[in-house]
Amino acid sequence: MKFTFKSSFTILLTISSIFLVFLLNEEGEIPILFNLLTFAGIYGLAAIGLNVHFGLTGLLNFGHAAFMGLGAYVTVLLIPHAAGREGVVVTTGLPFFLALLIGIISAALFGLLLGLPAIRLRGDYLAIVTIAAAEIFRLLVRDLESVTGGVYGIINFSNSLQQYRSGFIDNFASSNELNPSQIWIAFLSWTSIILVLLLLRRLTNSPWGRALRAVREDEDAVRALGKNAVWLKLQSFMLGAGIAGLSGVLLAFNYGTIQVSTFVPILTFYVWAIMILGGVGSLTGPIFGSIIFWVIISETTGIAQLIFENANGQQIAGVRFVLVGLLIMLLMIFRPSGLMGKKEELLLDVK
Amino acid sequence: MSNKYLEVTNLKKSFGGLKAVDVQSLNLNRNELTSIIGPNGAGKTTFFDLISGFQDSDEGKVFLNKKNITKSQPYSIARLGMIRTFQLTKVFDRMTVLENMMFSASSVNNDSFMKSLIRLPSQKTTEKNIKEKSFEIMKDLNIDHMANSYARELSGGQKKLLELGRSIVNDPSILLLDEPLAGVNPKLAEEILQIILNLSEKGISILMVEHNIEAVMKISQRVVVLAEGMVIADDIPENVRTDEKVIEAYLGSENE
Repeated sequence: MKFTFKSSFTILLTISSIFLVFLLNEEGEIPILFNLLTFAGIYGLAAIGLNVHFGLTGLLNFGHAAFMGLGAYVTVLLIPHAAGREGVVVTTGLPFFLALLIGIISAALFGLLLGLPAIRLRGDYLAIVTIAAAEIFRLLVRDLESVTGGVYGIINFSNSLQQYRSGFIDNFASSNELNPSQIWIAFLSWTSIILVLLLLRRLTNSPWGRALRAVREDEDAVRALGKNAVWLKLQSFMLGAGIAGLSGVLLAFNYGTIQVSTFVPILTFYVWAIMILGGVGSLTGPIFGSIIFWVIISETTGIAQLIFENANGQQIAGVRFVLVGLLIMLLMIFRPSGLMGKKEELLLDVK
Repeated sequence: MSNKYLEVTNLKKSFGGLKAVDVQSLNLNRNELTSIIGPNGAGKTTFFDLISGFQDSDEGKVFLNKKNITKSQPYSIARLGMIRTFQLTKVFDRMTVLENMMFSASSVNNDSFMKSLIRLPSQKTTEKNIKEKSFEIMKDLNIDHMANSYARELSGGQKKLLELGRSIVNDPSILLLDEPLAGVNPKLAEEILQIILNLSEKGISILMVEHNIEAVMKISQRVVVLAEGMVIADDIPENVRTDEKVIEAYLGSENE
C-alpha cells in the first residue's frame, strides 16, 4: 500500500471514526472499541472473500452468509459441543485446527456445488441463484434440528479454541479489563486478515489473477482465446467461499454460540456494504471499510441520542440504516470507487 | 495431408421460424484468405458463432483438421489453433494493453492456480518471454506506446488493433475475423488490410466477414456469398463480382 492521498485520506477517516468512539462514550471506551474491532476483523475478512468474487472476478454473489454459515456449522459440529433444545452433549471430536480446515474446505466445496449450475449465469441471474441458495441453506439448517440444533443452536464449543489462548492475551485483557476470549478472537481475526491478504496479493499479481480479471472484463473473449472461463470462475468461487468460511467460524466463536439467525441475508448485505465502502477490487479496502462500518453500527445509539432524546430501540435501528445508507450515498457521489478502489477499475457497472 | 482445414456439412441453425444458417457444404483451404460477404442478416456472424462453438447448431457437422468440433466448447476449439475476433470489439477494458496481450499469450498451464501460488521460477521465465513477444507484436501494430494504458482508453481503431494483436500473439494457424474494418477510418483500414495480408502470407489461414466490398475484393483469394443463410456464390473475387445471384441478393430482384 503506497501512501498516496487516497490511502492517507482513508487512514485519517478510519482514525477519526475511532476517535468518534471516545467522543460519544463517557466510560468503557476501550471495551467498546475492542468489541467493534473484533467484529470489524471478522466482517472485514468476509468482505475480502467477497472481493475475490466480485472485485477480482466480477461474480455477483449475494449468498455470502451461507458460505460463512457452512464453514461455521461444519467446524463446530466436528468439535465437542452441545446442540439443540435438549442440549445434546457431544464430548468427542476432532482437534480444533483439523475441524477448522475441514470447515473451510466444506465452504469452498459448497462454493463449487453452488457454482456448477449457477456459474454459467451472468450478472443479476447469478445474484438471484446465490441469494436463493443461501436461504435454502439457512432453512435446511433450521429444520435439520437433530444435526444442527435447529433454532436452538449450538453451545459449549468455545473451549476447543480458547484452550490455545496465549498468556499475553490474558495479560493484555486483564490489564485493560477486557474479555480475554474476545480479545483472542480479535487477535485471530486480524492475524487471518494479514495472512489472507498476503496470499491474495501473491495471487492477484500472478498470471492466475490476470486470468480472473480477464473473466471479469469479458467472458466471451476469454473463451475465444482458449481459456476455460467456467473453471476460472469456479476456482474464484471456491477461494472466496473458503475465506468466507473462515470468517464464519470466527464469528461463531466470537458469539460463543451458533444461531441460525446469524446467517441471514442481512449479514450478506452488511458484507457488501463493507466491500463497497472500502473499495471494490482493492485488497486492503475492506479492512478500513469494515472499521468505519462497525463504528457506525456500534455508535448508532450515541448518534441517535444526539437526534432524539431517550431514543428507543426502533428509533436507533432506524438511525442505523439511515447512517449506513447516507454513508454509502455520499461515497457513491464523491468516491464511487470506494475508499481504496481504483477509479480506473470502477466495478459497479455489472454486465 | 488434405488441403482443407475446415469442412462444414449440412450446417443448420434457426431462431424460431427464421432460418439463420443453412449451409449445405463449405470447405476452406489451408493458407487461403477467404471472405464471407452477404447482405445484413445473411447469417454471417451466426455462421462464425457455429463454427467457433459460441452457438450450438441444430443440425450438421463441422470438422477442423479432420477433427469433429461440432459440439466442442469455444475454448477447446481455440486451443486447436483457430482463434476468432468479434464484430463488436471485445478488449479487456479495465486491464492494461500489455495485460490484454499477455493474458492471451499465456498458456493455460502458466495461468494455473497452483503455479501462481508457489511462484515457480519457470513461470517467471515464461512471463518474461511472453512479455517480450507481446511487445514485438504491439510494436508491429504500432500500439506499443499504449502498453501501460487501460484498454478502454484506446480509440476504436486501436481497440481493433489490440484485438487483432491479442489473437495472433499465440501463433494461431487459423484466424476468424468478424468485421475487422468496421468503424475504422479509411487510413487505418488500409493498415489493417495490410496486416491481414501479411498474416496470410505468413501462412495463417484466414476467414473474414466484412462489409467493405472493395477491401474484400482487393485482398481475398476466394469469396463466399451468403444470403438468407445459404451459400449463393463461392468463387474467386472477379467471378463473384459479376455473379447475377449476388447482384440480386444485394440489390433485390427486378421482379419485385
